[in-house]
Amino acid sequence: MSRWLVDGWQVVIGLETHVQIKSSRKLFSRSSTSLLNDLPNTRFNTFDAAFPGTLPRLNRKCLDLALRAALALDCTVNKRSSFDRKHYFYPDQPAGYQVTQHYSPFAVNGRFVSPKIGVPIRIKQIQLEQDTAKSITNSRTRSSLIDLNRAGTGLLEIVTEPDFRSPEEAADYVRSLQELLRAVGVSDGNMEAGSLRCDVNVSINRPGEPLGTRCEVKNINSVKFMVAAIEYEIQRQKNILETFHSEHKVPQETRRFDVDSWRTVKMRSKEDAPDYRYMPDPNLGVLILSEGHIESVRREMPPLPEATRARLIQTYSSSGVTENNIDVLMNLDAIKEIPYDGVSNSGLGAVAYFERCAEGRDSKFVMNWIIQDFLGRLSALGKPFSSAHIPVGKMGELLDLIAEKQMTRSSAKLLLQQMLTAPSDVPVKLLAKQMDLLSPVAKQATISPTSDDTLRDICIRCIDALPAEIAALRAGNEKVMNRVIGWIMRHTKGKADINRAKEILKELLQL
Amino acid sequence: MLRRFASNLRAKDASFNAFVSFEDPLNLDNITKGPLNDYTIGVKDNICTSSLPTTCGSAMLRDFTSPFDATVVKLLKRAGAQIVGKTNCDEFGMGSLNIHSIHGPVINPFRVDSRRAAGGSSGGSAAAVAAGLCEVAIGTDTGGSIRLPASYCGVVGFKPSYGLISRYGVVSYADSLDTVGVLAQDVQKVEKVFECVNRRDHHDPTSAEERSRKQARLLALNSIERWNGQSLKGLKIGIPQEYFPSELTSSSNHIISSIRYLLSQLRSLGATIVPVSLPSTKYALSAYYVIASAEGSSCLTRYDGIQYGSRVAPPLGSELTSTSKIYAHTRSRGFGREVRKRVLLGTYALSADAFDNYFLQAQRVRQMVKDDFDHVFSIPNVLYTDSDSASEMKDMEKPEIDGVDVLLHPSAIRIAPRLDEMLDDLRERDILQDYVQDVLTVPASLAGLPALSVPMRFGIREDISNEQDEDWPIGVSIVGQWGTDKLVMDVGKVIERFNQK
Repeated sequence: MSRWLVDGWQVVIGLETHVQIKSSRKLFSRSSTSLLNDLPNTRFNTFDAAFPGTLPRLNRKCLDLALRAALALDCTVNKRSSFDRKHYFYPDQPAGYQVTQHYSPFAVNGRFVSPKIGVPIRIKQIQLEQDTAKSITNSRTRSSLIDLNRAGTGLLEIVTEPDFRSPEEAADYVRSLQELLRAVGVSDGNMEAGSLRCDVNVSINRPGEPLGTRCEVKNINSVKFMVAAIEYEIQRQKNILETFHSEHKVPQETRRFDVDSWRTVKMRSKEDAPDYRYMPDPNLGVLILSEGHIESVRREMPPLPEATRARLIQTYSSSGVTENNIDVLMNLDAIKEIPYDGVSNSGLGAVAYFERCAEGRDSKFVMNWIIQDFLGRLSALGKPFSSAHIPVGKMGELLDLIAEKQMTRSSAKLLLQQMLTAPSDVPVKLLAKQMDLLSPVAKQATISPTSDDTLRDICIRCIDALPAEIAALRAGNEKVMNRVIGWIMRHTKGKADINRAKEILKELLQL
Repeated sequence: MLRRFASNLRAKDASFNAFVSFEDPLNLDNITKGPLNDYTIGVKDNICTSSLPTTCGSAMLRDFTSPFDATVVKLLKRAGAQIVGKTNCDEFGMGSLNIHSIHGPVINPFRVDSRRAAGGSSGGSAAAVAAGLCEVAIGTDTGGSIRLPASYCGVVGFKPSYGLISRYGVVSYADSLDTVGVLAQDVQKVEKVFECVNRRDHHDPTSAEERSRKQARLLALNSIERWNGQSLKGLKIGIPQEYFPSELTSSSNHIISSIRYLLSQLRSLGATIVPVSLPSTKYALSAYYVIASAEGSSCLTRYDGIQYGSRVAPPLGSELTSTSKIYAHTRSRGFGREVRKRVLLGTYALSADAFDNYFLQAQRVRQMVKDDFDHVFSIPNVLYTDSDSASEMKDMEKPEIDGVDVLLHPSAIRIAPRLDEMLDDLRERDILQDYVQDVLTVPASLAGLPALSVPMRFGIREDISNEQDEDWPIGVSIVGQWGTDKLVMDVGKVIERFNQK
């Protein structure tokens, strides 16, 4: 812990993160959620504008995405929770209150494990609530314009316990949280677009003494600003405490980060804190969640990034695929477009694309080709990754031509360039022929694994060579088969019949 | 003929002020064919209609027309009803006399010359029916707002179980209490309209589930089967002793004697009359005003003059530093005095310092009131029993030996008061007296139970002290378990028959 002391002061930080739920409709109304480039006041209905006589209706899709977040953060989901009204007058709040979960949030007591932070971060609670409208103030004309597009969009407020001991830990949490929420399809987590905002609570104390008075810095919309705000707060609070020794305490305040001066500025003191007059919402009543519902959300949830990473390492590292390689693919997936309402993406992600291409092939070879050649070529062309550029089947044909030495790697790059710039339905081999890229030596394969006997020999050798994998296969772990087949493909230069090889293996192993 | 009726409506209403806007008679030609084709209907002005303004009796919404029809209005139109206009009411439903309306007070049509209050807040709806301006009127009842004016005007007023009629499009006063209901000259008409609008609505999150509706309806039918016909043998009526407060026994002897006569008639037909106790009743009125005002302060927060409704711009030189100070101009002018009072009261009840002692305490009392009712009824409350198993359902069908089928009590502790007394002395008289009028009606509101007020016109003459007061109508209320609306109305029909003798 001592390495986090700043001049003998322990820093204590807690975070409240507001995350916009990626749903096609708003939390309590049927109107569409908006994008930043939508024209103002085109995405709202009478409920969002708080017209008399309108009533809320909970969007189950928002609820399911909220549940994903709760499960991803290892929270206890409350079978019964409720919504409350938080009252305050502001033009961006048409009803005069925000519906939130003040008294009884739907998820509590979670934890977040980051490889970079030693101890797990405790998640105090997650609340489901409404976003506000946007007010654009013109200081010259002293007037405000209201855009209702955002009003009533579903938000998650994720509250941590004060478990961070440095600005870096807080920053790492926010970045990892972003990645996690994107991976499970809950949110864009895009700070620039405002779909993820943070409030930070900072206090300092001498180790062993009670916690200091905390100050809250509200509405920070970038990790960089957050780090700067925390650092500024540490210095500011340290100055107060050191200048006045123990006679003065840090006054409890709500502050904001001023981007121009790079400082935090006082918004209001504790005494000015508004009384929000929280009241249970009489319309929405008790939110009841059944075990079955929670389980169905858990079943449909995409795997968490940490689990995916661990599985990829376990499956492919023995074939020479590095963790760096895996991170390249995972980072690609981390920036992909998040679909609305948690539906599964139409295109394959980079990880899935690799795994499909590696099926029955040498995974290290496939990985290198994808990362160095395919991604390299894409970036040279200024195109983002998409499995649609070259479908798995075509990429497979291309990979097989290289593996079988029917084509040199540099010829293959030319062919790839052609396939990317002028996509066509022509079979890859035919295209290669048309472009005169096939090697003359192609047909002189040293082994002829087409013969069953040869393949059987190779399978027997494989069983000797991979004792651990074979044991796993015997124990019923089907996933290991890919690695075993990969070995066979390497030793037959990719020419073995995969299905036949599997059959022979099963026969030999009496599976 | 209908068109002529509609065009005469404005003139006919001149002496009552029951209506605040009238449907264009031309629009009444395109009526859907349906069960309500013979019905002209007035709709309370806090229920949204797209063709007429919805002012809620407030300056705040003086020029407001909703872009949509409330679900109840849609259902009425679909059933072929002719909505002839919007009826006067206390501002946002806050009041018991219909004197807090920008459209002015409603005159009780029972005898226009004596200029008495119609009661509130659905005073326009009750008066419109009493004056024969429409067959049926739709009102809302938050703490007695249908039953009290029905009693004062001498018509039938029905507040169904909470959650049966959709509140979508009903301008909220207190969401957990607001209930749409029906007023008419007789129970049969009330029932017919109720049947057409008693529908589950997905736009209303508090709309009761089909399962609960069905379960409660079966229980009600079971009870009705036991006594239906000429004899009332098997019908057990409870008389709650707490519903005869000192105000009632001292001042309105003819109310008591009417009830006595009614009970003797019911007994002679074979009904069992038993005294029961609902001990939490004495706390109900305070709890009601805390909850209703708290929710009212919340529901009315939206009237800030920004999106719709009236706006009062801050005068030159006024402080523009906070949003609330700017809104204060609109809200101080747009809301009438009674609304302002309740908003302030409710705001206080929700403040951090008062919340536990007022709002939470009131919620506890509300639960006690509910428990009291569940305790005396033979029919269980289906909303509190998660009975999936058939055995539990069986238990529910078996009536308890001790429970009663319905409760019966006077609807009000007095007859319609004189308007001049109410209006002229507004500053000096004891305003709390207005609130006390609700003492008999709020418990059923807190518990969400069906309650029907039927006029008692038995012509009993005992102890005549004031000839004129004697003649004024007074209602009797029948209260049943949640969802047994049919049972409550059937008992109402029996009582109605005594009137016709």
